[in-house]
Amino acid sequence: MKKTILVYGAGAIGRGYLPWVFSPDEFDFMFVDRNPDLVESLRRRGSYTTFRTKDGKYEKQQVPVAGAFLLGEEKSILQKTNALCLAVGPRNVVDVAHQLSGVSLPIIAFENDSSVPEIVSSITGNKRVYFGIPDVITSNTAPEQLLRHDPLSIVTEDGTCFVDNRAGDIGGQANYIDVNELNKQWIAKLYIHNTPHCVTAYLGALMGKKYVHEAMAVEGAARIVRGTMEEMVRLVTEHFGVELTFARWYADKELSRFANHLLFDPVSRVAREPFRKLAPAERLIGAANLALSRGILPKHLSAGIMAAFFYNEGRDADAHIRHLIGALSPNHFLEIILKLPPSTALHNLLLEEWGANSNRLASLS
Amino acid sequence: MIYQSYLNIALRAATAAGEILRTRSDDVMRQTAKPNLSARDIVTEIDKLAEEKIIRIIRDTDADVPILAEEHFDKSWKLKKIDSLDRLWVVDALDGTVNYINHIPFYAVSIAYIERGKPAVGVVFNPALSELYYGARGVGVFRGSDPIKVRDAGPEHSLFACAFSGGKYDDKRSVEFDVFRTINDTSMGVLRTGSASVNLALLASGSLGGVWGRNNKIWDVAAGLLIAELAGAEVKINYSLEKPELVSYTASVPASSNFILEKTSVLMK
Repeated sequence: MKKTILVYGAGAIGRGYLPWVFSPDEFDFMFVDRNPDLVESLRRRGSYTTFRTKDGKYEKQQVPVAGAFLLGEEKSILQKTNALCLAVGPRNVVDVAHQLSGVSLPIIAFENDSSVPEIVSSITGNKRVYFGIPDVITSNTAPEQLLRHDPLSIVTEDGTCFVDNRAGDIGGQANYIDVNELNKQWIAKLYIHNTPHCVTAYLGALMGKKYVHEAMAVEGAARIVRGTMEEMVRLVTEHFGVELTFARWYADKELSRFANHLLFDPVSRVAREPFRKLAPAERLIGAANLALSRGILPKHLSAGIMAAFFYNEGRDADAHIRHLIGALSPNHFLEIILKLPPSTALHNLLLEEWGANSNRLASLS
Repeated sequence: MIYQSYLNIALRAATAAGEILRTRSDDVMRQTAKPNLSARDIVTEIDKLAEEKIIRIIRDTDADVPILAEEHFDKSWKLKKIDSLDRLWVVDALDGTVNYINHIPFYAVSIAYIERGKPAVGVVFNPALSELYYGARGVGVFRGSDPIKVRDAGPEHSLFACAFSGGKYDDKRSVEFDVFRTINDTSMGVLRTGSASVNLALLASGSLGGVWGRNNKIWDVAAGLLIAELAGAEVKINYSLEKPELVSYTASVPASSNFILEKTSVLMK
């Protein structure tokens, strides 16, 4: 008998990648999302297609939809499921967690923030909340020729899904590993994937590119990304003690992924919510500060951080960033908005490199 | 988002003026003492410098609009009614002068843009704490990078703040203290922070349940009242009939609104 998985977030990871981890042959999929049009489409169509890039080609999987709900509508079916997956984005996790108070089902949080399981656990009272790391890039859309056949198509990669082995009884094709190995994978993902990936996206946005691979095709941008990658490899090996061979392999893997022209990963997806990514402990400012604390000068990363300041997507939740960078002096923007005090090394570095980075970024657009 | 450009001007001006306040805070000294005013109306040279900076920045982009600013307020304003003007900038380079002089970090630059008596853009910047509150109609309301909203709770779960009338004390002074005591003793308490604009910013960001003021200067509160309203507070403003620069107001979260209106009604007449 099939197990039932309820996925919160019918986006890139939830809809696109998880069916490759939990095969529809073994699991029935139900989705919860905030987007009423998406929920209605999933209900009406009853299935959708997810594609996986492998060896330069697309593999295809049809996913039957056993149910689709708006957030709040799903309560009556919660106890009929075997496990829950969260893939809603870190900013939405708290709202979803409040819906799950008292639920004792195992929950895997596939979120880009390792503190999410603890947050969800404290809100819900559920001790069985685990961290999952999808080591893939997943678009939230697909190229035109695939969308024409199925407007719900989505494209992901052939990658590994690492999950806390205490969730092992859920099953599927995840790689269930212990917390130490999971932590190593998370460090690699956070600094060798997340950091350079969003730098690529912000550079792409500056250049008016729609997809991440288009940004990597511009040598000036690729040079900044490769430079950032080198700075992060040094960081994870010197600060976290990750083996150099693993770090270098991971970095090479990521660079080829960013350039994968089959993925059609939108810049807008990777670059969204720049203030979240510029938060003190996050992948840009946090990574730069950590590098500086180890005597690593994040010069290329500083150019990527500056590119984030100029992110100009009017529909983004953090669209006000472009007005603030225009209205405030650089010093005030760093201190008042990013909470980087003037006495700090990163504040000084960003100010010192402001002119040079401005020229470097201007030469790309 | 037609008010975005005015918001950008206000942000630039407020942070530039705030920088003057912050860097000169150790030079504070009493420069002038106007006769017949209370101690709280001591004006400093720094206040004037900061105000001139704001005016220059506004004038660079918006040359013709009247600017109502505390240090440039004169009798000609008594002939104009604020709500009759199509467009107006209202500026206070230093709200919380006594706090500033005494190195208490509750003071702010307050800048508002008003159309026909209705604030459309507001910026309150506390340079001592690097707290920047700003908002505009059709744009949203923020503290720093984050959107803000009030925290709705009844009076028994709320802290409040008030700004007493300044200047010459009148016969309602004792009533102001009575209202303070009544609300203080039937809630989590009432603060007098020394800065009306900071009070309103704290309400907008969820730290307070309500704020009121009697006969406060419009330049102290216009920006904060808009910010509080945009963050979800219920705001009531009464302009003084005799003096166009004075307003009395209440601003509170919905769950405490009736409580504040009832308890302060005697002051708002």
